[in-house]
Amino acid sequence: MTASPDIVSAGRRQTAALSIFLMVQTLGTVFFVGDVIGDLRADPLSAHFIFEAMVTAALVLGILFGTFALRRTIELLRAQDQALAVARGALSDVIDRQFQTWALTPAERDVGFLALKGLDVAEIAELRGAAQGTVRAQLTRIYSKAGVSGRAQFAAFFVEDLLGEGVPEAAAQAAQ
Amino acid sequence: MATPRTLAASAAPPSLWDPVVRLTHWGIAVSVLLNAALDEGGSLLHVSLGWLVMALLLLRLVWGVLGPAEARFSAFPPNPVAALRHLGQLVSGRVREHPSHNPAGAMMAYAFWACLALVTVTGLYMTGGATPMQVAAEKAAVASGDWSALIKESEGESSDEDRGLRHTAEEVHEVVANLLLILAALHVAGVLVEARAMRRNLVAPMVLGHRRK
Repeated sequence: MTASPDIVSAGRRQTAALSIFLMVQTLGTVFFVGDVIGDLRADPLSAHFIFEAMVTAALVLGILFGTFALRRTIELLRAQDQALAVARGALSDVIDRQFQTWALTPAERDVGFLALKGLDVAEIAELRGAAQGTVRAQLTRIYSKAGVSGRAQFAAFFVEDLLGEGVPEAAAQAAQ
Repeated sequence: MATPRTLAASAAPPSLWDPVVRLTHWGIAVSVLLNAALDEGGSLLHVSLGWLVMALLLLRLVWGVLGPAEARFSAFPPNPVAALRHLGQLVSGRVREHPSHNPAGAMMAYAFWACLALVTVTGLYMTGGATPMQVAAEKAAVASGDWSALIKESEGESSDEDRGLRHTAEEVHEVVANLLLILAALHVAGVLVEARAMRRNLVAPMVLGHRRK
């Protein structure tokens, strides 16, 4: 299972940046609070202290909100990752079952998977260590077993169900 | 099948701890080692690192309430009985997976936090709660020949009781600091033993996680 590296690394960078920001914020707040406590001992009722106390409260609230936001971000990223994994697993289950229904041989199944992934004949042949002619023949057999005209229809067979309501009305009218 | 795989993933410790856990972990580790081994007690660097540790500790404790599931205290409640049971499993070689820290590791974390809090509080008491800025200002004043800062300091604790308390704070500070180093050594040993028993790299999740291709 290879997770899409772009999404993962982007999410990682984002949470790392937020965490560093949160750390700097906490550091600043702790120093500031220490300073305010020093002031408190000097003169608790001065306007200076009251102002500083308000700033401190704002800083602490900022940290709490920042913490909460960071947690939400981390959880959201994880949920997306998991949903993606589940969707991937579900799709490959569907493909597996369909290949079985078409009674593809193990070799044809492999070639079919690679074709669905978008590899061309030369690439599939290289990956499987087979001649291009063999792969081409296997693909032709797959298409005939599936009853599709070619590669485009073969791929569309699995995507179709994911697209829901089928052809949009406007497109259908334009076709008539 | 997708379902069992995700269930298995949620029962194991994270393959990568979240950034707050990692930052606070390494920040505190480096600061404690520096303060224990390299710099001089009472120096500006020592006090600054102490305040840094206090800030990181506070952040980690807030994160223990507000953070994601495996960073929260509720994921690893302090339970000495479970910790002993876990150590027993470790001896027999069959270790159960835990979604966060294992029970023994959890006890270690709480011990660390208690010691860090003690060291910080006694340190604050010893410096009279002076922030690094104040320490720097005082040192600069003394360096420039104005010794009034020193006089004020000694004046503030003229009574015997104060001096006794201060002495106690210094003792506690030193003893607990040494205890922290012992805990750190135990912690490293625990990670090594655990990693062997589980046949898994436990250091990578605390650093950068596994490199994905």
